[in-house]
Amino acid sequence: MQTRDEILEQIKASLTELFELDPARITLTARLNEDLEIDSIDAVDLLDGLRRQTGRKISAEDFRSVRTVGDLVEAIYKLVQA
Amino acid sequence: MEGRQTYFWRSVATGLCFTLFGLGGLILGVLVFPATLLLPGGSARRRARMRGLVQRALRLFVRVINGVRVISYEFHGSERLGRPGQLIIANHPTLVDVVFIVAFTPAPCCVVKAALFRNPFTRGVVRAAGYISNSPTDEMIHGASAALHSGDSLVMFPEGTRTRPGQPLQFARGTASIAVHAADVLTPVYVRCEPLLLPKFVPWYRVPPRRPHYTFEVGDDIDLAAYRGVPPPKASRLLNDRLLQHFSARLGASGGYNGDSGD
Repeated sequence: MQTRDEILEQIKASLTELFELDPARITLTARLNEDLEIDSIDAVDLLDGLRRQTGRKISAEDFRSVRTVGDLVEAIYKLVQA
Repeated sequence: MEGRQTYFWRSVATGLCFTLFGLGGLILGVLVFPATLLLPGGSARRRARMRGLVQRALRLFVRVINGVRVISYEFHGSERLGRPGQLIIANHPTLVDVVFIVAFTPAPCCVVKAALFRNPFTRGVVRAAGYISNSPTDEMIHGASAALHSGDSLVMFPEGTRTRPGQPLQFARGTASIAVHAADVLTPVYVRCEPLLLPKFVPWYRVPPRRPHYTFEVGDDIDLAAYRGVPPPKASRLLNDRLLQHFSARLGASGGYNGDSGD
């Protein structure tokens, strides 16, 4: 079972690889859109990447309310718990 | 200069053409499509048949609006449209651009405004033809990619909506994203209309003072090799900038507008 910290590390890895972001900017409170400039098109690539990594069916519906990196960790945590 | 009578005729004829378009959509969606369900073949064959029907109907519609002198047009390079996995992108100065491009492409798939899936005149057709709604974003990107991977050619307008008169051309990045993910070939179509018919924010009955002339020009394929192997968020940003420069250079920065809309 993955912990929240492990999930955060995984997200950091995805974000730095896909978006060439500085890992230091990826904190739990960082807002995806405003702070990290990840828009709805990027979100599609991000979720596709997470689907491949986790091997789970992730529906975009589960992520509609995600605003921050912390929200994203929480959403994935819930999914892997399920 | 044409007389008052001719102007009046073009205004009336434009209204009649709208009516014809709506009726055609209804007849295809409500009568013809259910009839084709009786023919043999699975859902893929049915969809292909519907796309073929839509193409022929729109070709006829183009002939009619040309014939009744509402518009005139020329279309160059249509033989290069309709290749498997081909993403066809065009600028969008007027309401009816898509009509011409679909009329001259063999049975393409199309990304269309979500509103067309609710409009009673178009709903039947866009569903039956398996067109893709432009919203929500993730479903559009996955649907469009699946269509290209399955060998369809796909028509998209990267502006997402008609060009805003007097403002610089803007492309939404979804199209570039689909191109880097799924297109085998990327082909631009440059659309010009002079004077402008049915631009954004102008009611349909205010037809321009002269009969509008459309020019459609299929450009050379845009090489996608440089964008393969780059992470998609970066690749689609690079490609989007390139496409915008490309179209702006061909059309002028305001995208098919010459500043004079005829008013």
